[in-house]
Amino acid sequence: MKKTVNIPLGSQHISLLEPIRFQFECENETIVGVDADVGFVHRGVEKACTEKFEFKQVGYVVARVCGLCAITHSLAYTLGVEQLLAFESNDRIKQLRMLMVELDRIHSHMLCLAHVAENAGFEALFMQTMADRELVMDIQEAISGNRVQFDYIAIGGVNRDLTPESAALTKTNLEKLKPKIEELKELFSSNWSLSLKYKGIGALSYEEAYTYNALGPLARAAGLATDVRAETSYFPYEQVGFELITERDGDIYARNMVRLREIENSIAMCDAIVDNLPEGEIMEKAKGKPDGEAVVRVEAPRGELFYLVRGNKSNMLDRVRIKTPTFSGIPAMVEVFKGSEYADAPAILASFDPCMSCTAK
Amino acid sequence: MFKAMLNAVTNIFKPPHTLNYPAEPIPHPDKYRGLIEYGEEHCIFCDKCEKVCPPGAILFYHNMDGTKKYHYNPYLCIYCGECVRACPKPHEALWQSETKPLPAGSVEDVNGQWFDLEREVEKSKEAYAAFKKAEKERKLAEKKAGEEPKEDGE
Repeated sequence: MKKTVNIPLGSQHISLLEPIRFQFECENETIVGVDADVGFVHRGVEKACTEKFEFKQVGYVVARVCGLCAITHSLAYTLGVEQLLAFESNDRIKQLRMLMVELDRIHSHMLCLAHVAENAGFEALFMQTMADRELVMDIQEAISGNRVQFDYIAIGGVNRDLTPESAALTKTNLEKLKPKIEELKELFSSNWSLSLKYKGIGALSYEEAYTYNALGPLARAAGLATDVRAETSYFPYEQVGFELITERDGDIYARNMVRLREIENSIAMCDAIVDNLPEGEIMEKAKGKPDGEAVVRVEAPRGELFYLVRGNKSNMLDRVRIKTPTFSGIPAMVEVFKGSEYADAPAILASFDPCMSCTAK
Repeated sequence: MFKAMLNAVTNIFKPPHTLNYPAEPIPHPDKYRGLIEYGEEHCIFCDKCEKVCPPGAILFYHNMDGTKKYHYNPYLCIYCGECVRACPKPHEALWQSETKPLPAGSVEDVNGQWFDLEREVEKSKEAYAAFKKAEKERKLAEKKAGEEPKEDGE
């Protein structure tokens, strides 16, 4: 007789914001097998990029893949096309792009932490974190003119310059955010429902992280030192004080700590960028038609974002391939679920910070 | 525990994080991305804005006399500003204002008529191109007809 029971989580579930379905094979309360299905919100973005839009418009199309990491998607695509056009942007453009990506990382990590708190039954902290996140959203709105879909990065540069007012707002808001992050760190490490409850839950070992190709905060929490920012040289990250942050335990607590420490590091980097912004044009002419194939990797808030762009010397591209961090991380996520209790599944899932809109695109 | 209680009590007397929206306007920073505005007297009708617009929110209807009519759909527009950057006469013919688009009354107001217009514009372009071609051929034929008697004379 079969000893296991199949219990689904999703595609509509109270703890999920976006549709994802897991089929858990449970023995009593313990999960022994997992089956994941992610394709519920497919929109055909890759096809639209090659059939409907010209290469200069595609940057705005791929930004719509995800609401949270919109800037990372348009950045990765733009870097790919600029590589094909043999265009090298100046230092000011690089620094401004880096600033927006780091601001994006701060607010994306804060959203994840808010959901982790909510899944621990800590509704008040969810509200508080989301309210503090507004500080970063305000900076982004002041710099780019938009709150969520920034449309900031274009081929050849950025659309808007950092004005003295927005630079001042960036400094003051980040200064306000620092003690709040300190407070969050204190809460996440000493509050009973956030620290003790989450220690040892959903653990991923270093070997598993290595074998199953974990990426982003999931891998760094397990001690695997992988970060595209350190591996590539598109941006001068060492200049602004980038640190590769790792923890050892690989559980939910370690993931929270990695995210919190990354927020602190990102705040420091943003400060450094605003202080030492080099002079230069913000938009330069990138001439020609894309020809050949380019592969770009950018560190999104959730891990490595991979873009392949292939052009044929015309306005329409041959192929745009997007591989998002959540999609690449699924084998590792499935491994984390095995052996844990069914009741912990929503909390574990929230700690992965999955982005279904990216994954199914 | 004591700190949490203290927080809870002080929170009662704190002003709310939210805005009293309909009564007070939402503050927005300078250079807010608003509607694209158009000055017809300065426009040179190069159609560059129509070509670069990612969602296709700008259309030019071609009249048979060679003039063009500008159409703009604020509900399709993503306010990226590509059209303004492509414009040869920015701030005179095309610019980004700080005005918010008004909420739409119904679905038909938003895109229903727009898609009809898209088809009409497509037709008008084809018709105008065909008209131009016919005109060119007619002129060529006239020229030939004018040249022919000369040939006969020789």
